[in-house]
Parts: sequence; structure tokens; C-alpha cells
Amino acid sequence: MKRLAPALWLLLAAALAYPAGPWADQYVLHVLVLVLVYMVLAMGLGVTPGFCGLLDLGFVGFYGIGAYTAGLLTLAYDLSFWVVAPLACVCGAFFGVLRGAPVLRLTGDYFAIVTFGFSELVVMVLTNEIWLTRGPLGLPGIAPVSLDFGWLSAFFRPGTPLCYEFSGEAPYFYLALAMAASVAAVLRRAKASRLGRAWLAIREDELAAASAGVDVGRCKTLAFAVSAGIGALAGAFLARWSQFLSPDMFKFWESFLVLCMVVLGGLGGIAGACAGAATLIGLGEALRALLPGLGIPVEARFLAYGLIMILIMRFRPGGLFAASARQPDCPAG
Amino acid sequence: MLVQQLVNGLTLGLLYALIAVGYTMVYGVIGLINFAHGEVFMLGAFLCVSALGIGLPLALACALSVGACAAIGIAIDAVAYRPLRAAPRLAALITAIGMSIFLQNLALVIWGSRPRPFVREALPAFFGQTAFELYAVRVNGLQVVICLVSLALMAGLHLFIRRTRAGAAMRALAQNRVCARLMGVSVNRVISLTFALGSGLGAAAGVLTAIQYNSLTPTMGYNAGVKAFAAAVLGGVGSVPGAMLGGVILGVAETLGAGYVSSTYRDGVAYAVLIAVIVLRPAGLLGQNGAAGRDKA
Repeated sequence: MKRLAPALWLLLAAALAYPAGPWADQYVLHVLVLVLVYMVLAMGLGVTPGFCGLLDLGFVGFYGIGAYTAGLLTLAYDLSFWVVAPLACVCGAFFGVLRGAPVLRLTGDYFAIVTFGFSELVVMVLTNEIWLTRGPLGLPGIAPVSLDFGWLSAFFRPGTPLCYEFSGEAPYFYLALAMAASVAAVLRRAKASRLGRAWLAIREDELAAASAGVDVGRCKTLAFAVSAGIGALAGAFLARWSQFLSPDMFKFWESFLVLCMVVLGGLGGIAGACAGAATLIGLGEALRALLPGLGIPVEARFLAYGLIMILIMRFRPGGLFAASARQPDCPAG
Repeated sequence: MLVQQLVNGLTLGLLYALIAVGYTMVYGVIGLINFAHGEVFMLGAFLCVSALGIGLPLALACALSVGACAAIGIAIDAVAYRPLRAAPRLAALITAIGMSIFLQNLALVIWGSRPRPFVREALPAFFGQTAFELYAVRVNGLQVVICLVSLALMAGLHLFIRRTRAGAAMRALAQNRVCARLMGVSVNRVISLTFALGSGLGAAAGVLTAIQYNSLTPTMGYNAGVKAFAAAVLGGVGSVPGAMLGGVILGVAETLGAGYVSSTYRDGVAYAVLIAVIVLRPAGLLGQNGAAGRDKA
């Protein structure tokens, strides 16, 4: 790991201290949490195209599956976030493997199309299976995250309730930060592992990787599972954070936005994906404030995203933050 | 009732086929899914309505919109795809998606997000009237026009590809780009021609669809594009008759599915067909083996 410059440490400390102070603005915090959620999503999506060279256009499907799994479990069984989040992860990973199994042989465009169809089907099921998801009405009233230390009180004064329920944006900020940091750490370790090298080998040349003894099918399936699990984790967080879910939150636009972040940051890079997420969410919020003043509908900010994607691919295929303009052989992480 | 559904499905399917041809041709020649094709279809509809809005007659407005979209198709290729011919395939695919989003939102900025109707006054009266009625099956003038126009356009395209020199160049390019260039085919010109033809047909489909449903939105290219792509894959990517067959099958399946199975999953039919074909028979119904899903660097 590269050593951080003192300025970066300072920035990190400031970011950590900001939400705790009385000066913290709820809107700024909200945007920061959003940035962190999208960082997790971008890192999760980045696994498939960045490590395996397969374009996943349906990533948001796992985000939706995770969110609805968490939301429904919370509403029906009143489970704690700490139980729900891993369950959502497992459920997402399961669907990732399920979707991946029939398309293992496919490459490039056909893979992209199948993933795209998958996410559309997810939205369709969420919209139409009203008995389960309440359809377009959405799921309101999902309980916020809480920390229950009641079991600890057994050690000094039995029966004392030691429960902290999250309110406001600050605790969510720290939770999201912890989530993003752990996902980044896991991916960094995975990338450096034997499996990670196998992934990169598959991305560069699948045939060569297979003949060098890499079990391509197994590695790809693992990549799908990891990617989907991370997406579902972000979804579980979203469910408990926004406390409301509707199928509209998981349309193709979201996949596109996350893909744009990954492309902007450079395919295959973990830090790049995070930087891409921060840049685009920041840009999105700026445009959201700016566009209505110009008489342009807010949705038109995707115009900018589309343009960014074309320009990046044309002029800096290695990502905006890459050292050189050419495609990196070994992407910076 | 069943026959009525079949007629409606056939009309819908021919429209899908007309769009699908654009996907299939471009895929055949440069091996890229042109995600922006659905947006060209949408632009065709909007340009036609705008041309009618300034008082042009219907035929001229249609011709203008088809011509403009052919030019837009060439421009999309020249600006976005041509610089990436040698780049990894992922880059071109991402650019195609970016282009699609860009055009869709450009239309949103220009024409607004509210659905607008087609200019009814510009249409000849027989469009809405029943052209003929057979055993309680009604076919209106517009459906006849849609069927005739799409069949004529696709037959013309098929002859063009099979019988002319330019068509032969296209086929050569689809088989082997390097070899075609060695044989004296001017590669970029043929690719431009492919984009122009596909986009022109897409625009024609856009105009017909807009008349049929009497509603235009900037997002109309999204669903139509996906379904047309499904039709192209079903028929076998790269094959023009395949695109027609795929379009008609998909249109009929969708109408029957909506009528007899479940109307809520109407749009799901296309995705289900798409995924099933890709997984079970990637070459499609009429495609040559190995032509689909290949990796062209």
C-alpha cells in the first residue's frame, strides 16, 4: 500500500471529524453518505469488468435484491441490521451465481445483454409481485439501524436497556465509511491473492489463462458472487438508511451511473472507482442545483454522464485518474 | 379474437423487424451492439413531428427525418466508434451505451419529457379507417401501410445486400475485415453506408411507431431498442431475413402473451426470449454457427 501524503491524512481526519461536530450540515452529510454508498457499488461493479473483462449492465439488480431482502426481512421479522446485512449479501451472491451459471461461456456483448435483461426482470418482478413487494407503492417504514448492547448489561446490571437507534445522518456516515473501507480492504486483499491474479489473467486472455491451469468457470463464478454480494450489501444499507424502497430506485439508470463511475475511475482500480463515485455524485448534486435555474429538467444531468463516458473511452481509456492516457497493462489499484 | 391478436402482433413484429435490421447489419459488419440505435429510432419520430410542425407535408417530413437519421447514424459512427476500432471491445461497448444515454437526454432537453402526440391533421384519413374486415377481424389502413412499408423496405434491403456491389462489400466485411480491405473494399465507407442504411430504416420505424401509438417520448427508443435487439438475436445476428423472422415471432409472442397469459409481464417476454436464445442457441434461428458471440478484437 502506498504511503499517504500528510495532506491526505489531514483530509481524512477532517472527514472523520466533520459529522461529529455541531457545524455538520444534514444535507452535506446526506451527500457524503450517498457518495460512500456509490463507492461501495462502484467497487462491487468494478469486479466483473475490471477484473474479468465482462461488462455487467445489470448490476443494479443485485442492489435491488439486497435492498428488498433487507427491507422485507426487517419489516416481517424485525431483525437487526447486523443479521439482515449478511443475509442480504448471501442472497445477492446466490443470485449472482444463478445469473452467472448459464452465461459462463458467453463473452462481451452477449454477456452484457443477458445482465441487462436480468436487471430489467428484477425491476419487473419488484413492480408486479405486489403480494410480496407492494409493487409501485414501495416499502415504507423500514426500521433504522440500531445498536443493541442489551446483552452486555448482563455483566454489570441485568436488565438495563443499552440500545442506540441511529438518527440523523452522522451515525450512518460512520457506518457507510466502515462499510466502504471494509469492502475496499477485502477487494484489495482479493486482488493480491491467487484468485485475484487468476481474475486478471482471465481478463487479459481467457484461453491463455485456462491453458495455464486457471479454472476459468470457478473464478468467474466467484467474481460474480463477490460482485453481487457487495451490491446487495450496499442495498441492505440503503434499505435501513432511506427507510423506504420502491422499484423505481433500481432502474437501468442506476446501473449506468455506477458503470460511469467505474469507467471514470479506470476499470480495475479500487481507488479509481471510489474517486469516480465521489466525482459523479458531486457533479450530480451540482447539476441538480444548477439545471432548474437554466430551465432544463433535472434528469438531463445524464447528458453529462453520457458525454463523460464517450470522452473518457475516446481519450483516456485508463480512467481520468490514471497516470497515462493509454490503457494500463496492470491497472493502478 | 385470436386472429385479431395475430394481426396486431404481426404489425408490431414488422416494426420490431425494421429496427432489428439496423442492429443486425451493424453487428454483422463491425461486431458491435450499437446501443444508440434505439435512440436513432426515437430521433426519427421526433424529427418527423418537428418537420410537420413547421408545415411540411407528410411525405417530405418522413423523407427528411429518414435522411437526417441516416446522417446521424454516420456521425455517431465517425465520432464515437471509429476512433475505437482497434481498442478493446469493452471500450466500444461502453461508448455505445454512453452515446445512447447522451442522445436520449439530448432529446429530453430539446423536446421535454412530456409525451407529445403525433400531428393527427397531417395524416391521410384512411389510416384510421377500417381497410377491410374479414370474419370480425378488423385491419385498419395504418396497419396495412405499416406492413407494406416495412416489407418493401426490408425486401429492398435484402436485394441491395445480395445483388449490388456495395452489398457484396458489406458481406465481405462481415466475413473478414482484413481480407476485405486487401480485396480493395474501402472499409470505413462501407461501414458508414451500413450505419446510414440501418439508421434510416430505424427512423422509418420510429415514424410509423409514433403514428401507431400517437405518443412520443424521449425514452421511447429504450424499450423498442431492447425488443428489436431481442428480435435480431432470435433471428440470428447478422442475418436480415433472420431479423424479420425474429421480429414477427417476437411481436406475435408478445401480443399473445399479453392477451392470454399476463399483461403485466408483457415487456418481460422480450427479455425471456432474449436470454433463452442467447443461452440455448446463440446463433439464433437463421444465423450461421459461430457468427454470433464471436470475439472480434
